[in-house]
Amino acid sequence: MSTEIKELKFTTFKTNIKYSVINKRVHNIDGLAKVTGRATYTFDVKLPNMLYGKILRSPHPHARIVNIDASKALAMPGVIAVATGKDTPGVKQGIWRRYPELCDEQILPLEKVRYIGEPVAAVAAVTEEIAEKALELIDVEYEVLPPVFQPLDAIRKDAPIIHEGVERNINVTRHIEWGDVDDAFAEAEKDGYIREDWFRTSSQHHMCMETRAAVSSFTPDGKLTVYCSTQSPYYMQALLAGVLDMREGDIRVIAHYVGGGFGGKFELDAAIFCSAVLSKKTFRPVKIVFTREEDFIASKRRTPMHYYIRTAMKKDGTFLAREVRVFTNGGAYTGMGATALYLTGFFCSFPYKWRGYRYDGYRVYTNTLPSTAMRGFGAPQAMFCSEQQIEWMCADLGLDPYEVRRKNAHTECYEVPGQAYIQSCGMTQCIDKIEAWAKSKGNLGPNRAIGVSAAGFMSGGIFNWFDTPYSFSSAVVVINYDGKVDLYVGCQEIGQGSNTTMAIICAETLGVKIEDINVYSGDTAHSPADLGAWGSRQTLMAGNAVKMAAEDAKRQLLEFAYAEMGLNIVYDLDIKDRWVHVIARPERGMKYEDLVKRAIRGKDGQRIIGRGYYTPHRKGMISPAYSYMMQAVDAEIDPETGKITLHEVMTAHDCGQPINPLGLIGQLEGAASMALGFGYLEDQPMDEGKILNPNLVDYKVIRATEMPKTDMIEIDTYEAEGPYGAKEAGEGLTNPTAAALGNAIFHALGLQMKELPITSEKIVNALKEKKEKQGK
Amino acid sequence: MIHDFHYLKPGTLKEALAMYAEHEDCKVICGGQSLLIVMRQGMIAPENLLDIKHLNELNYIKFDEKDGLRLGATTTHRAIEKSEVIKKYYPALVAMENKLASIQVRNWGTIGGNLAHADPAGDPAPLLIALKANIKVGSAKGERVMPLDEFFVDYFEIAMEKGELVLEVHVPVTQPKTGIAYQKFNYLTNDMGIVGVAASVTLNGGNTCKDARVVLGNAGPTPRRSKKAEEFLIGKALNDDVFAEAGKIASEDCEPVADIHASEDFRRHVIGVLTKRMLKKAFEEAQGK
Repeated sequence: MSTEIKELKFTTFKTNIKYSVINKRVHNIDGLAKVTGRATYTFDVKLPNMLYGKILRSPHPHARIVNIDASKALAMPGVIAVATGKDTPGVKQGIWRRYPELCDEQILPLEKVRYIGEPVAAVAAVTEEIAEKALELIDVEYEVLPPVFQPLDAIRKDAPIIHEGVERNINVTRHIEWGDVDDAFAEAEKDGYIREDWFRTSSQHHMCMETRAAVSSFTPDGKLTVYCSTQSPYYMQALLAGVLDMREGDIRVIAHYVGGGFGGKFELDAAIFCSAVLSKKTFRPVKIVFTREEDFIASKRRTPMHYYIRTAMKKDGTFLAREVRVFTNGGAYTGMGATALYLTGFFCSFPYKWRGYRYDGYRVYTNTLPSTAMRGFGAPQAMFCSEQQIEWMCADLGLDPYEVRRKNAHTECYEVPGQAYIQSCGMTQCIDKIEAWAKSKGNLGPNRAIGVSAAGFMSGGIFNWFDTPYSFSSAVVVINYDGKVDLYVGCQEIGQGSNTTMAIICAETLGVKIEDINVYSGDTAHSPADLGAWGSRQTLMAGNAVKMAAEDAKRQLLEFAYAEMGLNIVYDLDIKDRWVHVIARPERGMKYEDLVKRAIRGKDGQRIIGRGYYTPHRKGMISPAYSYMMQAVDAEIDPETGKITLHEVMTAHDCGQPINPLGLIGQLEGAASMALGFGYLEDQPMDEGKILNPNLVDYKVIRATEMPKTDMIEIDTYEAEGPYGAKEAGEGLTNPTAAALGNAIFHALGLQMKELPITSEKIVNALKEKKEKQGK
Repeated sequence: MIHDFHYLKPGTLKEALAMYAEHEDCKVICGGQSLLIVMRQGMIAPENLLDIKHLNELNYIKFDEKDGLRLGATTTHRAIEKSEVIKKYYPALVAMENKLASIQVRNWGTIGGNLAHADPAGDPAPLLIALKANIKVGSAKGERVMPLDEFFVDYFEIAMEKGELVLEVHVPVTQPKTGIAYQKFNYLTNDMGIVGVAASVTLNGGNTCKDARVVLGNAGPTPRRSKKAEEFLIGKALNDDVFAEAGKIASEDCEPVADIHASEDFRRHVIGVLTKRMLKKAFEEAQGK
């Protein structure tokens, strides 16, 4: 396994390649539709004869459903149908389809509710107002059961059982190990340094501009069309087929515009499921749009974690081994939380080389809102703990934290034993750049400091627990008579600029302009299957599929050009900026439009169709490629009030070849605002399982006034596995920020903050504690 | 979801007062930046809404060097923020308005609506009380004026009789050698304050305090003066130790309530810090005059 990679001694730092479309600052191709209000989001969909649905939710964190009586609601004028679990095939579903025991969530459960806000029944009525009033008329008889809210309580022997047969409420366990951990610790005990810390990370809401929404239309021919706000139309199609006992192909999922996802919209949600069930029942279209409050209380959240890390290093700062134990608050169901448990364990080793590494993760069921994927997918939690501990260990030993990071950092063509192959890696360069930047700032004055954190992230997951029989990504390129190109992709545009990225890759490959490409995505009826927008996978995976499809189409075009031009066989042809030419003699050639016309004629009038696909093979366990970064946060803390003022966030970033620098800046700024919020603002406090801040007054997200200046230093690398050398460039930027903020606070005030979010109150209390200790 | 209501739109103040007297279960809307939130959250569901936002009779900023400043009830926050005369004579008001919610809210929300809503976390009240403002209210039967610090009774409750509307806020001329300062503590610059403190300091020549006001925001059911801190300050030669002690007194002379954003202890702590800082800031400003 390892020899294969170690022999590949190519350089991953690229030579100057001149692109025509790639790496130009391009506005999103759907920007005009959005800013003029012409983009049709699910919320805007209105079908003839449409009904409106509302969902009745559980007021109890844990209760048995004894009886549901909807007769009064059904008697209300304007109410057309009420659906409960009895109106469904009663299938427990989940996204880890290879593991039936992890498919544990029945939307509209028959037996039990397991968190406050869990859907119990759904009403379809002629207006939204009537549907909402009808909810009050549904009588649900509950037998209240004892609840448990914290993972460390839920694993106790005497804790209430949330899922029958799941002992101690342990939903998933994960073990990752390589090297000789115990040996390395023994060495450190003799002549090194070992430190252990406990951390706690908080919950975070995805806070999409567009709440969960769906319009389902079931027609008498037995076919279902669902407009919805999703990160993966293909997943929704497959999951709906499972829970409705339908054929995948009879379900069409449409999601042309999606107002944000951030990891929260690739599981089946209650808006999609309940509208489909109600539509099947009524044979009328049914629309369900979550209120902001519903989104807060009943769409899944970032996984809160209890973290234990024990790290051993030599006295000179060489890392020896690390042992990590994590308990996550899984909430009531598995969702994507099982993946977060895995990835947090892997990324806690990142981006360093360890002689030995051991991780044990436990995902624990509780009677709270389920936790799941959210931007960074377990890595921001890991970095918050890991990167602070490394900083503290350097301080404990009097070592230079930049030097220590550099000494242990991943390098290109490195194998994480048994786990991952790293091809391109600009980690060291990132450290160099940030060190120089931080040092150029000079003395910042009292109570202000720069904190740094390294991080990395995957470019899509290799794992196939969804058990898809299809390629991970596919694309079809169709060239029309006028030379314009239709690009059909299954990768999903959710505001991140995926359609633009694919258009750029397609245009670059074909040698045409970006405006020649029409992208068709977000509709299972014409988009080839693709796993969707999650895990930072689309640029690399769908990008490779698009590149392959465009190359296929281009090859067909060039066949005609070769024939037409009668060249010596040693010459190569290419197309650039719509000019088909001999590479060695660029002036010799023809117009792309002319070639297309002749080629189509030569194919007996067929349009040129290229096909492409991508599935990762032999790339380890996690991902085909990894981004790397080092981030610095310049923060000032008022030592009396604990108030944090953010001055600047600077990131040195290795994402391989940037495809669209403008899109990259958008990702950087979006990630910074989300991750800073994770660092010191955002949380979902609960009382007996009830979320106390389900609104935008009490849930604090960073606004423009708080947003510091952000900028990026791009590190030039070339990823052989990615299209044009590209890899992940957006989600991973969420990973280092909370840790960098924590390290800024450490250097400004000497505090070690182990709990997120780092609120002013926690800072003031920690300072008080520190003073008391010093007093003694 | 907001429940249905009857919308009343009077053409004149006189008509507004008549309508208000006539209708039971009637709420006044004057911008709605606070009211619509509580209606949307289902906390109140009035049968009638009386909209006075458009009444231009109450939309004015008047200043006279002898009389002081008069703000009509329907004057928007943005108008106050942008007023040249307020900037010149009451710069603390402009600074406060600058950080009151967003520009969109300030463009539509009014000073009368803000005060009548009586949220103890509101920004204008503590500062206006520090400025010794009076408030004029009136009904179809007549008008009356009271000091603003007597206007607030409890959480979202004010000293108004049935049928009365807020008509005007009057800020008297500031005494010579007076400094005024206001600051709130929060996580988001333009958010409501977790706590806020307004201070005014008038010097009696030298550094001796002739008069002082310490007004606390969101430190109890109403915006409230810490009279204990004020009494402590008056007659004292002012310095950092005195400010710190006054802060300590204020932090004990209040009733802040814990919520998800901050504990009671932390609120008291920050009240102490802000009181100290605002007094110092007001003192330095007074010295400069």
